[in-house]
Amino acid sequence: MDTLAHLLHLSPATAWIVVKVLLAFGIPMALGPILTWGERRGSAMIQDRIGPNRVALFGKIRIMGLLQPLADGLKFFFKEDLRPAGANKVLFWLAPALAFIPAMLGLAVIPLGRDFVSGGETFHFSLLDPGNGMGMLLPMAVGAMAVYGVLVAAWSSNNKWSILGGMRASAQMVSYEIGLGLAVLAIFMATGGYDPHQIVAEQAKGWFIWRQPLGFFVFFVCMFAEANRLPFDFAEGESEIVSGFHTEYGSMKFGLMGLTEYVHIIGASALIVTLYLGGWRLPMMADQTQLPVLLTFAVFLAKLIAVSFVFIWVRWTLPRFRYDQLMNLGWKKLLPISMANLLVIAYLMKGR
Amino acid sequence: MAAAHKVVVKKAELSWLDRLYVVSVAKGMGITFAHFLKQIATPTRKRYTIQYPDMKKEMPKGYRGLHELKRFEDGAIKCVACFMCQEACPARCISIEAEEFSELTYTQGFEEKRPAKFKIDMLRCIYCGMCEEACPKDAIWLRNDYELAAYDRLSMAFGKWDLINTYADQDGKATLTAETESPTTPRRTVAL
Repeated sequence: MDTLAHLLHLSPATAWIVVKVLLAFGIPMALGPILTWGERRGSAMIQDRIGPNRVALFGKIRIMGLLQPLADGLKFFFKEDLRPAGANKVLFWLAPALAFIPAMLGLAVIPLGRDFVSGGETFHFSLLDPGNGMGMLLPMAVGAMAVYGVLVAAWSSNNKWSILGGMRASAQMVSYEIGLGLAVLAIFMATGGYDPHQIVAEQAKGWFIWRQPLGFFVFFVCMFAEANRLPFDFAEGESEIVSGFHTEYGSMKFGLMGLTEYVHIIGASALIVTLYLGGWRLPMMADQTQLPVLLTFAVFLAKLIAVSFVFIWVRWTLPRFRYDQLMNLGWKKLLPISMANLLVIAYLMKGR
Repeated sequence: MAAAHKVVVKKAELSWLDRLYVVSVAKGMGITFAHFLKQIATPTRKRYTIQYPDMKKEMPKGYRGLHELKRFEDGAIKCVACFMCQEACPARCISIEAEEFSELTYTQGFEEKRPAKFKIDMLRCIYCGMCEEACPKDAIWLRNDYELAAYDRLSMAFGKWDLINTYADQDGKATLTAETESPTTPRRTVAL
């Protein structure tokens, strides 16, 4: 830490902020494109295909087609940037940013690794230090903001398919938000606070996936709906409404929309890992406060990628729900289950 | 008219276990993950996908692709220009011009014929193999080559020299190009 600060001619605290900002923005920005590649290769493997493997750097270095997202991104820049007649120009330009920025913000409070002491100062491994008063509420609130991006994109496109997709997406997100909130509430109760650092520390006693399996189930399903992923990708629904809310988008605006989806996956995975899978903690180890900081970061990343893979895996297994089934599941099943989970946890905590 | 049968289609009733989704979802995920592992563990050359320009499909034995006019070891063409293939061809894509080419024709009464021109219009050919069957001399074969594409129509009109030797696999024979002179010495002269 000190050497790094010395190299950058900064105080350790400032250098650490630089590192954290780079990580908090770099992880989704770097992992997002890699996930698009992972999605295409993974789906290919699931369907006994091969997937993109031919893109090569200078025609030589192929690395299993890992450069495909780079080529895709480059292609997006050269595409015509179209704006349909009658579209609301300002909102049409604003929508990709409105979708992208909330997706990026979710990682701000997530602890990416163990806190450590260096030179008498404590450094926290999350962009916002604990005790900022927002805690876990920030990713929840910002995640709910994501629907604005979808809705604004749909509305400003002046397209009937778009508006249908946007409406469906917003209705879906609203109905899943409540079950999600109740599931997280049970965790806040068990922890006695809503700071992610506190939640991760609490999981030293056992990961919440074991302590609240029902809550985990509800949260997991709702996260799929939040991230607009199959089986709940009603905003897009290729077979029904062409491409949903981004029907009219092209060029890099479409690229940004596509990237947003993957950044959402990363955000959702980070939330799942932090809330239920013990954050940066290794399983089955009592005292983990002395582990190497980089190891805890690696553990967090490994969990993040594993959960992201589950997102991809589920997409290529399950078909899309019918819209009434989706509403049925959200309001009549997940919400009661989540409520029951909350009550049971509360009852079990009564004696304490 | 027979009495109309009333068909009652019953909607399949799902058990409560099915309606929970969880079990069936887990089952499905298991299947896809098994496929994922299997495909990842399979080396590229054993996968179903043939990555075409790098890998080529091994054609089955009876495959009928591009034609070849066979030759004897000395390079003389086997075809005697009997026009059987031209007659047999249902697509009428073969056109032959015969020529006499041996001194013996005049001196000893041999009838030595060979094709002066042997043209197959590959755009018309339906690769039925009738020419191969009709040929009394086994002079025309259909090979396994299937990469038959060109940028213009003219290059799909295969002449005699194209049919003799424009293949990737030469069967160990010397390559004759269009510039190579036609073998003038008759086969029987050489053999004698």
